[in-house]
Amino acid sequence: MSLVKRVTILFFFTLITIFFGCKKTNPVEKNTVVIAIPADIERINPLYSFSFDEANINELLFLSLVKHSWDEKKGDLSTEPMLAVSWEWAKDSSSIIINIRNDVKWSDGAPLTIDDVIFSFDVYSDPEVQSYLYGTFKAFYTDKDNHIDIKKTFEKISDSKLKINFLPASSPSMYNLDFPIAPKHIYGKIKRKDLINAAENFHPVTSGAFMLEKWERNQSIILKESVSSFLHNTDGVARLAFKIIPEYASRLAQLKNNEIDLVEDIKPEDVKDLKISEKLQIVPVKGREYDYIGWNNIDPEKYSKEKRLVPNKLFGSSKVRRALSMAINRDEILKEYFAGGEYGSLANSPVSPIFKNAINPAITPYKYDLEQAKKLLAEDGWSDTNKDGIIEKKGEKFKFTLSVPTNKPRRLFAATLLKNSLKQIGIDFSIEQLEPGDFIEKLSKKSLNAWIAGWAVPLPLDLKISWYSDLNKTPMNFCSYQNKNVDLLLDEIEKRISNDQKNNLYKKLEEILYADQPVTFLFWIDNVVVYNKRIQNIDVNPLGVVHHCWKWSVK
Amino acid sequence: MNHDLIKILIKRFISSVLILFFLISFLFILLRIAPGDPTQRYISPGLSPQLAEKVKVSFNLDRSVQEQYLSFVKNFFSGDLGVSYSFHTSVTNVLFEFLPFTISFSLIAFFFQFSLGLLLAVFAYKNRSKKYLDGFISGTNMFLYAVPSFVSGVFLIYLFSVKLELLPSSGIKNITSVTSDFGELLFDYLTHLILPVICLALAGTPVYFKYFRDNIEQNYNKLYVRYLRSNGVTENVILYKHVIPNAISPIISYAGVDLGMLFSSVLITEVIFSLPGMGRLAVGAILDRDFPLVVGCALSAGTLMIITNFIADIIKFKIDKRLINGVLN
Repeated sequence: MSLVKRVTILFFFTLITIFFGCKKTNPVEKNTVVIAIPADIERINPLYSFSFDEANINELLFLSLVKHSWDEKKGDLSTEPMLAVSWEWAKDSSSIIINIRNDVKWSDGAPLTIDDVIFSFDVYSDPEVQSYLYGTFKAFYTDKDNHIDIKKTFEKISDSKLKINFLPASSPSMYNLDFPIAPKHIYGKIKRKDLINAAENFHPVTSGAFMLEKWERNQSIILKESVSSFLHNTDGVARLAFKIIPEYASRLAQLKNNEIDLVEDIKPEDVKDLKISEKLQIVPVKGREYDYIGWNNIDPEKYSKEKRLVPNKLFGSSKVRRALSMAINRDEILKEYFAGGEYGSLANSPVSPIFKNAINPAITPYKYDLEQAKKLLAEDGWSDTNKDGIIEKKGEKFKFTLSVPTNKPRRLFAATLLKNSLKQIGIDFSIEQLEPGDFIEKLSKKSLNAWIAGWAVPLPLDLKISWYSDLNKTPMNFCSYQNKNVDLLLDEIEKRISNDQKNNLYKKLEEILYADQPVTFLFWIDNVVVYNKRIQNIDVNPLGVVHHCWKWSVK
Repeated sequence: MNHDLIKILIKRFISSVLILFFLISFLFILLRIAPGDPTQRYISPGLSPQLAEKVKVSFNLDRSVQEQYLSFVKNFFSGDLGVSYSFHTSVTNVLFEFLPFTISFSLIAFFFQFSLGLLLAVFAYKNRSKKYLDGFISGTNMFLYAVPSFVSGVFLIYLFSVKLELLPSSGIKNITSVTSDFGELLFDYLTHLILPVICLALAGTPVYFKYFRDNIEQNYNKLYVRYLRSNGVTENVILYKHVIPNAISPIISYAGVDLGMLFSSVLITEVIFSLPGMGRLAVGAILDRDFPLVVGCALSAGTLMIITNFIADIIKFKIDKRLINGVLN
């Protein structure tokens, strides 16, 4: 038989296979919910929940002492029992006694005990382990390496009762107890420094409402209900599949096609098209994430070469930063990228509007006002003396480079708008697009002059990590903002005071940040979640979509 | 003949190892001096710079580039490519997990584009008198060649998955299926691979069509065809037994390079159709600054390229033994 004949036969055989291969696509199986995620997770180990998706999956697989829910009315978190059935604080909050459940077992049948709880505090705070919580146990007795002092901290009263002692001057809260408990009988056998690469991270022993059924790298992670869990819901979801789909357009196509049930971070421009489908529910979750224009408050060169904190020649003055904030038309960006403000809102400070009691209602957004911006710049000594169209002060021209990470069209659009506006007030800058890895490295080294980036506000609210003056304690203070009054307020917030007092301090803090404009706060971005209406009892809130998903059921 | 082939094999092996070694050495140094810090995403926001430095030490990135390189060379020659920062297992394990899919997927797509190109060329040549048909095939091929794979991929998903709901749009199997029946599993894999294979093969088919079409035409104009005709050999025998084998021979070199390229250029198709292959792995490794894995991916892409070229040469030697002397000299 000649070559061409052989090829022809093979080719048509394949075509026939394709023909018979075509069938109506399989919708998602009943009682299984498929959630799209853009990238695979690295491991299933609660100690290393560095990414959002890892944290979500670990929360479903590992129990914590307490759980937190979002109270929409209060605009704050509320604590609920989980592994701990009850707790009692000492009057001076120097200790807490917790009673844990005695009916919880790990997926391999071993009982979950107080020893697992103590071990978890030990291992999370161990510098050898480098967990995602390392360095955060500030209310606890620790050694010089931030490792919790077990003897001083824990008193095992009985098999189900534990006393935790806190540092005398600290301000402990229930949030300090909300992290997944690790299995001592598994991790205890592994050298601490080897935990990060342990084989157990791929077939974990778990304690949560779900357990791992199958994990195929770069394809899917499938969890199945844990029937023996006290959280088990007989009418709930039997299987939860996280499907890894890197392409946004593919995620959309599969959502429309019933191949997946839930997608987060839908672009506002796609909402209109998705609304046509009767089977899809669209829920915008009010923003925890904001975009901002960062102005380096210190001279980046002096800092990188000499580690000296010298005010930035261009952005060192709050008057200049206020002028810059007035020179960007944020409403236009909202109109262009957030469906006229339906899926985003203007930002005035780093306190999200979701924190209803902490937000300062007296603060209103800076209006787009080029004349006022010019006036402020003139008051600060900037003027175009040589009539070349660029303002200058003491021989220094107002020219700089604004860095924007690639693949963020919204931020590039904001940069272009700003360029056009600033040109009108005599400021010139060039836009530099940086690859995300390069951008983050330069941002961390504080070597950028100006940039556009985003920031997600942690829950519970914590502003110290990004606004405290001591740069050695707050590496996330990228703009190197320094204000003693802000430091005092942030220190005060950390003390043992009531929530009302804390909220009042936050309001004062917002006023200072608003006046100083260490960065130009642009807008809060809503997380637009779209899910198939066959999922019932779903509570989409700022804590995340899959939060408490054992309560879901499927129609 | 066998002796000559062994000589070629040894010569090729030595040069290939050297090429690959220089390739990954260059890449190793380039990655270290390029901007981007792989430890950045393992540092929690509350960690002080001093504590963050400890994370860097655990990645061995606190040592000088020279020290890192020397350690890398030592490990490389003992077959150790290091541990992937993001997969937390040896790079070799990761490559063995993802490589089989890319090889089989690329081979299927290669088979399609090669055979479809050949069939269309023969069909077009046989119908060369019908100008409109020949023109239509050539025009369609030019159009397909001009369409980028990310456009054709999205179009295929839109048509077959969203509108007609005939084929799945991503992955290599139904992730929620619990069947263990071999037939059903095979069928599931096949249906998932249809769109990606079409997408990948669409771009390559026009190239092979053009090569085959031109070579068939050139061979028909050669003297040996006239000689065969004058001896009463039928047109079908001339075409299938003489013209086509002669037309294929010059394309084999290109096919070798093309297959090698295909192994490392399936990225767009893998991303669009969420396939777990080497392209996605390599790009993820680059973006995550997973240095050992980037080197591993480059090494496997380079090795595949060398192997496919070598196989192409062997096939050519089989067809024309005179070429062996050329290589040896």
